[in-house]
Amino acid sequence: MSQKLPDGSLRNALLTCAPWIFFIALLLAWEALCRIAELPTYVLPAPSVIVDAFFEVEMSRWLDHLWATLRVALMGFGLSIVISIPLAIFMMRSELLSRTLYPVLVVIQSTPVVAIAPLIIVMMGSGDSSRVLITCLLTFFPLVVSTATGINETPAELIELSRSLDAPTRRETWQIRIPYAIPHIFSGLKVAITLAIIGAVVAEFVAAEKGLGYFIQFSTSFFKIPQAFAGLFFLAAVSLLLFKCVQWTQQIFFAWSLPRKKS
Amino acid sequence: MLKKTSKILTLAIALAGSGAALAADQVTFQLDWLPGGDKAPVYVGVQQGFFADEDLEVSISSSRGSTDALTKIATGQAEMGSADIGALMAARAQDTLPVSAVYMIFNQAPHAFFTLDSSDIKTITDIAGKKVATSPFTSSNAFMPLVLRANDMPGDAVTLTKSDPGALGPMLMTGNTDAIIAWVTNTALFQAQAASAGKNIRVLPWSDAGLELYSSAVVASDKFLSERPDVAKRFMKAYVKSLHFTNDNPEKAAADLQEMVPDVDPAVAAAQIRDTMTLVFNELSETDGLGVMTPERVAQTWTYVAEANELAESSLDPETVVNRTFIPE
Repeated sequence: MSQKLPDGSLRNALLTCAPWIFFIALLLAWEALCRIAELPTYVLPAPSVIVDAFFEVEMSRWLDHLWATLRVALMGFGLSIVISIPLAIFMMRSELLSRTLYPVLVVIQSTPVVAIAPLIIVMMGSGDSSRVLITCLLTFFPLVVSTATGINETPAELIELSRSLDAPTRRETWQIRIPYAIPHIFSGLKVAITLAIIGAVVAEFVAAEKGLGYFIQFSTSFFKIPQAFAGLFFLAAVSLLLFKCVQWTQQIFFAWSLPRKKS
Repeated sequence: MLKKTSKILTLAIALAGSGAALAADQVTFQLDWLPGGDKAPVYVGVQQGFFADEDLEVSISSSRGSTDALTKIATGQAEMGSADIGALMAARAQDTLPVSAVYMIFNQAPHAFFTLDSSDIKTITDIAGKKVATSPFTSSNAFMPLVLRANDMPGDAVTLTKSDPGALGPMLMTGNTDAIIAWVTNTALFQAQAASAGKNIRVLPWSDAGLELYSSAVVASDKFLSERPDVAKRFMKAYVKSLHFTNDNPEKAAADLQEMVPDVDPAVAAAQIRDTMTLVFNELSETDGLGVMTPERVAQTWTYVAEANELAESSLDPETVVNRTFIPE
């Protein structure tokens, strides 16, 4: 059942404002709950206390932590793109490869990264490389699956046509299969970018000297709960921004791959 | 030809030698937890230049518990560090871990029951039948039954719940639990939390209740100790200077810590330092000496650790875990 919205500019304004109105209402309700119930900050800090805690930390320190997390998240995300997309293409070309690798990929995906993260740190040291690998482990699976699905969904008649015209496999891949897979790849990228942040934070929980995940853990160890919440919100905002960046990339460079808006 | 090669080689060795003499020796110190007031001395050593005076360049990295720190030292990610001697003993009893304890930092057990001063738990024996919260991975959990038994209670005399370390304080203040298990090094933190709720806390240290053992020690990789004993000796000399400085100047030590770890609140760190230093400078350090590991107390510690970890006492000669040659005179 769908609710009808008014037409024209009012509709657009409502669509733009709705998430913000909901978010602000949620914050107000939270603030009211904390004040009315007189909840102590170590149980649940009010949004106003969290904002204060945010500004108590110097901006340079926030940026320092942000850069540490962002660097690892983006490197892990980049690495998983470099691995996943070619891997999916090769897997779709060869049934043998697909049958051999798929179970391994599923096993890697179903292994809790939190459990193997300490082992990775022991084997690779506590530098950026181990944190990037942890992030990559978490992000590459949705990318492989979405790319493979996209490549698989290329209409059979187009493939037949290209083969009847003796097109080489390379052209078939680049000019028919990959363009068909683009919407799926972007779905995978959107999932992966949020997982990249989670991966970086998991890695920081295990071994790090900087980063937003480390900052949250550090604040909790000193019972600075409002400060930990401030870190959490900052992290969520960064995650949202990165998600938007992926969306914008698709809108700018692959606008044709977006679903057509219903008139 | 051969002569020429040997000349070049000699020159290269001489150059490398002179380079090494110019550069300070690098040591990575592995903390067994996140930075805080209880870990201040090593930061003080860097900031006050005690390590530089000994021609050392010390870098510090954090970890998430004694076992984590020991693994990192054993795998060569750090040369020295701090870790619970109990964790080292338990590890050595089960595996060949090339790490030794070289200096005792906490000569007392840091574990304690924390309760509100309005509570009817006034001595250790009052804890029987009460709800106690603890964090899941703390070494304290293994020692708790021993403390209870030492005070004529069965090992399961309390109802134990496990929770995230950050939730323990709030649980105590909100009355969700009668007591919590934590380290005395965090007394000031819990007191501040209690004060914000208009309450006060009472601390019942296990060291006052019969748990006589060593705890946090300076540990080092055996490879490092055998290959660069001189560096280890210089490190310990500077470290002991740092310990004294930290004890005499908690505020300055906290400021030094904050200089290197800007997220630290210097007032909280100074309070933590005061709480911590009672485990370092006390009657025992007066009688036995600072950093000293007496064979009797080492053996006593192993008896407790073996019992707490359900290990056979014969599985380890505790003396093999200790290397006393690096304690400065």
